[in-house]
Amino acid sequence: MQEPVFSYIPGKSFLHTLDPRTKLTAVMLLGILAFRTESFFGIGILFAFFVALTSFSGLPARVFLRAVRPMVLFIIFIFLAQLFFTEGKVLTSFWILHPSLEGLQNGFRLSARFILLLLFAALMTASTDPSAITCGIERMLRPLPLRWLGVNSFELATMMNLSIAFLPLLFERVERTKAAQASRGMYFGKNPFHSVPALAIPLIRGVIRDAEELALAMESRGYQGTRRTSMHELLMQRRDWISLLALVLFAALLLRF
Amino acid sequence: MIRLENVSYSYPDGTPALRNINMGIKKGEYIGIIGKNGSGKSTLALHLNGLLRPQKGKVMVRGMNTGDFSKLQVIRKIVGIVFQNPETQFVGRTVEEDLAFGPENLCLPPLEIRRRIDRALAEIELEKYRYHSPKALSGGQGQCVALAGVLAMEPECLVFDEVTSMLDPESGKNVLERVKRLHEKGKTVVHITHNLEELHAADRIIVIDRGRILLEGKPENVLSDPSLLDLGLTPPSLIELAEHLKKHGVVIPWDKTSSPSSFAEEICRLFLKT
Ligand SMILES: Nc1ncnc2c1ncn2[C@@H]1O[C@H](COP(=O)(O)OP(=O)(O)O)[C@@H](O)[C@H]1O
Ligand SMILES: [Mg+2]
Repeated sequence: MQEPVFSYIPGKSFLHTLDPRTKLTAVMLLGILAFRTESFFGIGILFAFFVALTSFSGLPARVFLRAVRPMVLFIIFIFLAQLFFTEGKVLTSFWILHPSLEGLQNGFRLSARFILLLLFAALMTASTDPSAITCGIERMLRPLPLRWLGVNSFELATMMNLSIAFLPLLFERVERTKAAQASRGMYFGKNPFHSVPALAIPLIRGVIRDAEELALAMESRGYQGTRRTSMHELLMQRRDWISLLALVLFAALLLRF
Repeated sequence: MIRLENVSYSYPDGTPALRNINMGIKKGEYIGIIGKNGSGKSTLALHLNGLLRPQKGKVMVRGMNTGDFSKLQVIRKIVGIVFQNPETQFVGRTVEEDLAFGPENLCLPPLEIRRRIDRALAEIELEKYRYHSPKALSGGQGQCVALAGVLAMEPECLVFDEVTSMLDPESGKNVLERVKRLHEKGKTVVHITHNLEELHAADRIIVIDRGRILLEGKPENVLSDPSLLDLGLTPPSLIELAEHLKKHGVVIPWDKTSSPSSFAEEICRLFLKT
């Protein structure tokens, strides 16, 4: 089972060496840009920008396929909805459906925007160690008054790290529980109402016991949910500031079209 | 360096797990703790660095009371615990990230954290797995990584709570070798197990049963004590054999009972060469 959330591929490219905070900011900025750009020319430029960055990064294309693939149905749905439900100049008519020219344009625009967002996010997660991303998020959240929500940035970052580390284990446990129940004669047939409780109860019980043991091990190693450091040295260097500046200029130019 | 005075503890559901425990652990000592399942060994382990705090009595670690919340972080830096199940001790996505967890909690600077990861990895000789997921390792390797995670905090005292019970015999032996080596390097070791074979090299053995200390002493006395059988604990077979031989007037010295080869040599020396 491949890691489902992040697909970090270690490397030494320019993108890999940027500070995670730079990349997080860049993805946010590019996301906004993608949804603010109206013209097809602008969207095309953004795709070109993505291709340029990718060729810098030395990352294989399958990373990006894997990022977009789970969302394909959603994107097709958006495209069709726009195509058929936008008022405008009717292109042709089948039965009760009247696709319009405006709908076609809106559909292309919106699906292109989602694809861009996914691609840029994939570019970040593939070129950044996940724990460095959470470390970056922690540093960006630190000045916010999160304690009003009853958490602090350190706890949030640890929670994110744990989720990333434990998701694969959870899937594994589902498989193991299924096998254990099957060996006791449970039949996982077509009726999900029958199999879900038989699976969920031992699963939850196991997960809770694991979580208790894990919590003890964490506490034993000095975890208190308060200030802690990270093995990642986060240092905004000149190349980070220059990249961000370049990006802002690029965004300003693009939005003028 | 660790002292337990009249320690009693019951779980919230009312199960009494420890009753009036008194014991001391000296710096550099290798202590074995044995007892059958449910006798309170793990509960005792959790008291050694303040994960549980006694309801009666107190636990002192280098003069600090584990009930003093402001001292807990220092105490956990001094006493580290390796638990039974390797899978539920990992907090990192990679081995490196997992080893960083303890030092990060100690708020060490990144450079020092990386130095400690390097050293801990060298100690367990698993450098090539640095960027692997700890879950992809075998049970024995996993337990070594858990050990390294504790070593990265550079504790003086290491507590092992049945670390071999989920491993196959071969990797269990490997982990025990590392325990022995760490003791030789000067670490204080508390080794908890229900397998008496593991404790031949201990300086002192404590037997607990139903939350009480039943027996305490040197391995040569404790391991051959007949009351162990009543507790359902089987003495190491070589020691049992030596006891039977003693009844027939053949005395095998203690230090020859540590391995089958030294035992055989001694028998040959007694019967063939003289
Ligand atoms: N979390 C818990 N809640 C309630 N009772 C517990 C808990 N953990 C252990 N016990 C009980 O405390 C006693 C001692 O358990 P434990 O210290 O785990 O023994 P050992 O490690 O020697 O097998 C047992 O009777 C056990 O059932
Ligand atoms: Mg136990």
